[in-house]
Amino acid sequence: MSTAVPDARRAAEEGSPESHTAHEGTAPAQRARPARTWTVVRALLRKELLVELRTLESAPGMSLFAVTTFVVFHFALNRNSVDGDLAAGILWVTLLFAAMLGVNRLFVADADQGGFDGFLLAPVDRSAMLLAKGLALLAYLVVLELIAVPAFGLLLLAPPLGHALPELIGVLALGDLGVAAIGTLVAALAVRTRARDLLGPLLALPLLVPVVIGGARASSPLLALGHAGEPPGRWLLTLGLYDLVFGLIAYALFEFLLED
Amino acid sequence: MSALLAVLPALPLHEAGKYVAGAYVVLFALVLIYVGIMAVRSRRLERDLAELLAREQRASRAEGDAPAEGSADSAGAQSQTARRESTLV
Amino acid sequence: MYGKGLRALSISTVAVMSVALGLVFFWVPLEAEQGFLQKIFYVHVPLAIVSLCGFVAGGIFAIQHLRTREQKWDFRSYVAIHTSLIFGVATLITGSIWAKGSWGHWWVWDEPTLVSFLIVFLLYATYQPLRFAIEDPERQARYASVFAVTAGAFVPLNFVAVRASTAYVHPRVLGATSNLPWQMSLTFLVSLLGMALLFTTLCKYELTAKHTRAQLRALMRLAERRAGASTSAPPQRGRSAAPSLHATAMTANPSEGRAR
Repeated sequence: MSTAVPDARRAAEEGSPESHTAHEGTAPAQRARPARTWTVVRALLRKELLVELRTLESAPGMSLFAVTTFVVFHFALNRNSVDGDLAAGILWVTLLFAAMLGVNRLFVADADQGGFDGFLLAPVDRSAMLLAKGLALLAYLVVLELIAVPAFGLLLLAPPLGHALPELIGVLALGDLGVAAIGTLVAALAVRTRARDLLGPLLALPLLVPVVIGGARASSPLLALGHAGEPPGRWLLTLGLYDLVFGLIAYALFEFLLED
Repeated sequence: MSALLAVLPALPLHEAGKYVAGAYVVLFALVLIYVGIMAVRSRRLERDLAELLAREQRASRAEGDAPAEGSADSAGAQSQTARRESTLV
Repeated sequence: MYGKGLRALSISTVAVMSVALGLVFFWVPLEAEQGFLQKIFYVHVPLAIVSLCGFVAGGIFAIQHLRTREQKWDFRSYVAIHTSLIFGVATLITGSIWAKGSWGHWWVWDEPTLVSFLIVFLLYATYQPLRFAIEDPERQARYASVFAVTAGAFVPLNFVAVRASTAYVHPRVLGATSNLPWQMSLTFLVSLLGMALLFTTLCKYELTAKHTRAQLRALMRLAERRAGASTSAPPQRGRSAAPSLHATAMTANPSEGRAR
């Protein structure tokens, strides 16, 4: 992926005032003003998704891993179908471990090919990288779930997904936000250490236990046999609050990781 | 309550006594292990310090006799304070 | 100077803990439900509380480190987390012993305190491998601080989440601190004080030892510089994950120029 560094620099520069004027034809912007964070985030995110589309490194692997894991669960549990608590647990554990694969790969290109340095040279808010990478990870998770959840419904789930699907999507979305926030922070922390592939999941999994708790407890009534119930409101609240708190913490701490 | 107070649990021989003893022994053992590790570290520190002192004494003796006395004194004072400080803990 | 006051501190620790032991075994009445086994409460719960506070303190010291970049804060953070981890292990073991005595199993998932502690322990167990995996001391301290802040924020949230998720099948006896008779409350508070003093003493002891080691290292460097390159460096007696404090940096201002 030799395009990583020039892409990064171009993405960072695209956020700067000069290209702004070229794109939008506004009056020459004040050069002293640093680019708006959201523009930088958009540019970085575009770079991330472009690179992912070209290399197909993360999302397909994560999805394939999830489907394979369902097969493994079938053999490990010796069951043809699951429902309720068991179904929620299998789904969330599989999604979590597949997410770890994505987390591991999130910053690898930047660390190995100088993407960090390119970004640091640009006069932009450092947290933009957190937002961009977090949104990219979120995108990968969405792709993962688009494949894994139907596969789960097909392979292992006893009750039909149908009417519980909108609420399930809501629960998954809340969980994804938490995984994205914590996953990005941990990925940045682990990527420039020696045992990066090991430390990433080791750090992330305990931090994600409350997300699993909230997600599994909330999904369990949705995946129950017979009359599917409502997800208990307090778990949605827990998930939401947890996402918010750790999103803020990640936002506050991220720039300390980039200082080199 | 006072009836319960009458039971003096000095040497309980029934079931629960083993567990309670175990719990307190765990605490004690951990503190002792900590002390042991610190003792190993102190020994290492003392050894390195002695080595440093020996090297400095050798070096200053090589330079000449008069400077050797001065540095030996200061080195001696240093090792004395190090020993005094190590006995504080 | 870290060693100052260490003697007074250790003496008061011994005094308070002796009083606590005396109260526990000779004064406080037996609890009606659990009998003699309940006395583990006076060692298990203080251990848990002090350990948790230690983890949070480690996070607070880490915030100070990130703000001021003074190495002494990183140092305190490391020692606090390190000692809390030891106390955490003790909490798990004593809690397990209590569970065995109460329910007959060495582990119970119904006890949210124990479960939360397990998660927190698993998280903080990665602290030293993380430090060990980063060579550059400044970056090691910075990344460790980011971790300590994240984990410190995680601790209370984790407790809330796990407590909310625990099914109240068994009555929660292990952690019950509400409506205690005053004798038990007093004994508990004295035990708590003793445990807190023990924690502080052990931390101070470790800080003193590390500081002394750092001063010795600085002295060795000075000696080598004076002697020239002829003498070989003292053999490295094994690497340690512990942060190596540079005695000269302690008194000086935060480390040298980072272009920000």
